[in-house]
Amino acid sequence: MPARRRSAAGLSGHRLAGPLFASPALLGLAIFLVAPFVLALVLSFYRVQLNSPRPARFVGFEQYTRLFTDPDLAAAFGQALLNNFTFALIVVPVQTVLALALAVLVNRKLRGMVIFRTFIFMPLVFPLALTAVIWRLIYSRGDQGLLNAILGLFSGGSYTGHDWLGDPSTALGSIIVMSIWQSVSFQMIIVLAALQSVPTELYEAASLDRANKWAQFLNVTVPGIRNTLIFVALITTIFSFRLFDQVYLLSRSGSVDRASTETVMTQIINTGFDNNNVGQAAAMTVIFMLIITVIAIIQRAAVRQRGGV
Amino acid sequence: MMTIPKSPSGARILAAAAAVSIAALALTGCGGPGTSSTGSTGAAVTAGSGEGTINVWAVDGQAAENDALKKIISNFESSQSKIKVNLKLFPSDQYTKAVNSAAPGDLPDVLDFDGPTLASFVYNGKMAPLKGSVSDATLSNQTDSIKSQNTVDDAVYGVGMMNAGLALWGNKKLLDAAGVAYPTTPEKAWTADEFTGVLDKLATVVPGGKPLDLSEQYGFAGEWGTCCSAGPVIWSGGGTMLKDNKASGALDSDANVKSLTQFASWKKYTDPNADGLAFTSGRVALSWVGHWTYPTYKALGSDLVSIPLPNFGKGTKTASGTFAWGMGATTKNGAAAGKFLDFLMTDQSVSTYTDANGAPPATKTALAASTLYGPGKQLQLLGDQLSKACGTEDQISDTCVSVTRPVTAGYPVVTDQVGKAEAAIYAGKDAKAALSAAARAIDQNFADNDGYKK
Repeated sequence: MPARRRSAAGLSGHRLAGPLFASPALLGLAIFLVAPFVLALVLSFYRVQLNSPRPARFVGFEQYTRLFTDPDLAAAFGQALLNNFTFALIVVPVQTVLALALAVLVNRKLRGMVIFRTFIFMPLVFPLALTAVIWRLIYSRGDQGLLNAILGLFSGGSYTGHDWLGDPSTALGSIIVMSIWQSVSFQMIIVLAALQSVPTELYEAASLDRANKWAQFLNVTVPGIRNTLIFVALITTIFSFRLFDQVYLLSRSGSVDRASTETVMTQIINTGFDNNNVGQAAAMTVIFMLIITVIAIIQRAAVRQRGGV
Repeated sequence: MMTIPKSPSGARILAAAAAVSIAALALTGCGGPGTSSTGSTGAAVTAGSGEGTINVWAVDGQAAENDALKKIISNFESSQSKIKVNLKLFPSDQYTKAVNSAAPGDLPDVLDFDGPTLASFVYNGKMAPLKGSVSDATLSNQTDSIKSQNTVDDAVYGVGMMNAGLALWGNKKLLDAAGVAYPTTPEKAWTADEFTGVLDKLATVVPGGKPLDLSEQYGFAGEWGTCCSAGPVIWSGGGTMLKDNKASGALDSDANVKSLTQFASWKKYTDPNADGLAFTSGRVALSWVGHWTYPTYKALGSDLVSIPLPNFGKGTKTASGTFAWGMGATTKNGAAAGKFLDFLMTDQSVSTYTDANGAPPATKTALAASTLYGPGKQLQLLGDQLSKACGTEDQISDTCVSVTRPVTAGYPVVTDQVGKAEAAIYAGKDAKAALSAAARAIDQNFADNDGYKK
């Protein structure tokens, strides 16, 4: 009898255990993910102005039709999306390959390697607001810009200063370079950890088969860290679409044509908080969310097909 | 700065990133319309007994400003025994938000506000008209330029101790070296074409060949661009940002296209001033900036001269306006609040405050007595410009100089769009296209909000 009672109590305990353990996470998801998204969805059907005594007005799909048919707005939103995609298309492959190269480089067992690793990791340690100040000086136009000064030195004075951030054709490129410099070391550390977990016997076996270094790299190293590389590419993609701080810090304080570097994130903040147009910003967020979801699903499907993470 | 995601699921992390930003939007968005629908006029002000404690909100400014304010308050408390002052300072980036999110009953008796935010505060029923609470002598001693900023729909909502002004600061040594004679009064300001010629001459005497600083380090795509860079250019060229509450036909006018295109043509003479040292280190001969750089610039000693901004056709123009003081819409102690404001505007208080931060005084008597901006003093030009007030941009004449930024609750949109357009033009974009796009964006937002009319 006591034994049976205990097992009955245990069973009912089990029934509650699942939801109970899941509840903190579910609650967090509900508060920070589901509720805001639902709110954004709701707000996108209204005209809402921050700091306005006017009550929100229901306007149906107006914010969405404007986003796609209003020539100014559609062009600006399209440009921001294009900037995001350009950024992702360049940064994801370059940063992943660079992270791999750096990781291989610092994975050698040389004296003082810790110092090299520290130096390479350093950009990530400094706050972006601080590094942005330095990079503004680097990209500054005219002879005062560090980059221009160096290029001028190498060209023997024949090079005339370029306005890296002010010229719309190089503004996004400048931000891409700065962004890669800033965050490649984070990916490098992840790849480095993976490199060190590749069994050394595999390299020994490969060298017995007379595989040279390059063949070893292609046939042992890369397959050994394949899942990590996929993971790195995945999170770099995510960061690329979330791009905000680099653009905000580098281009807002210079005299830069904002359209040339605007990303969807900076545009949403600008619309919602500088122009106080919350309804429009909410509609942009919803559209952006849908686009990102589609990209994420495609990426996940592609990765899963090949038995990855 | 990157954060390390816990899950590799792209959708989820992105959703979270997007959602967090929208959460903030959503919460503030819902708070806005809900909290601020009461108290549309100053009808809720009660004069009260004229005694007791009044609450005062102010922006946490420079240390010297805060000290001066505290000194003025202690002078006020010792000058009489019935009214005590309870001062609360807010960080400057939080201040407007604090006022916007306060329910009418939570607003203080007296509050500080930045010029361009006043119309929005009035629109939201946060402010009380001062007539009846503040003495007529105080109101009539306000200079016209500050009065224009503090007037919304013909009612005065604020009084100011200080003002702000712009000038071209010149390095006399370099100007003389280039053989450039410079104007010292607004009437004699260089025309924009003359100014280009001056820059050509100056380019030969400065080390880097770029003799002009346009304060690019502040960024044009923001308030600096609108108030202090594009604003004076537009107004001086005979244009406006808004006309009858509409930007189309005003902001994108041919006059503005011409003026701003000419302004952008000076980019090749301009030092980007990324380090903020262009003027003091002698890299440039001319610096287009506000009165607030005087404490740094005075290092040049007697070589520092102030020159009016270039004239684009309708006389030189400068922006004016800054923080001023008003009364909360529902104060129960209007008489005491009025007495405090009267005390703030006495010559002694004004000079204590403006001596601390170097700003031009905003009352007539204190301006005349100023040791910096008064007649015959080093910054007389700026004082002179402020006393030649135009009022708002629809009242601009050839002879007035100081223009008040547009007084409308839609100012956040105006300043964002005008600044954005100026930065784009400066970066080489077609002026007509940039200004037309800005005008359409402003008009769309105004239309969505019924023109920000009450």
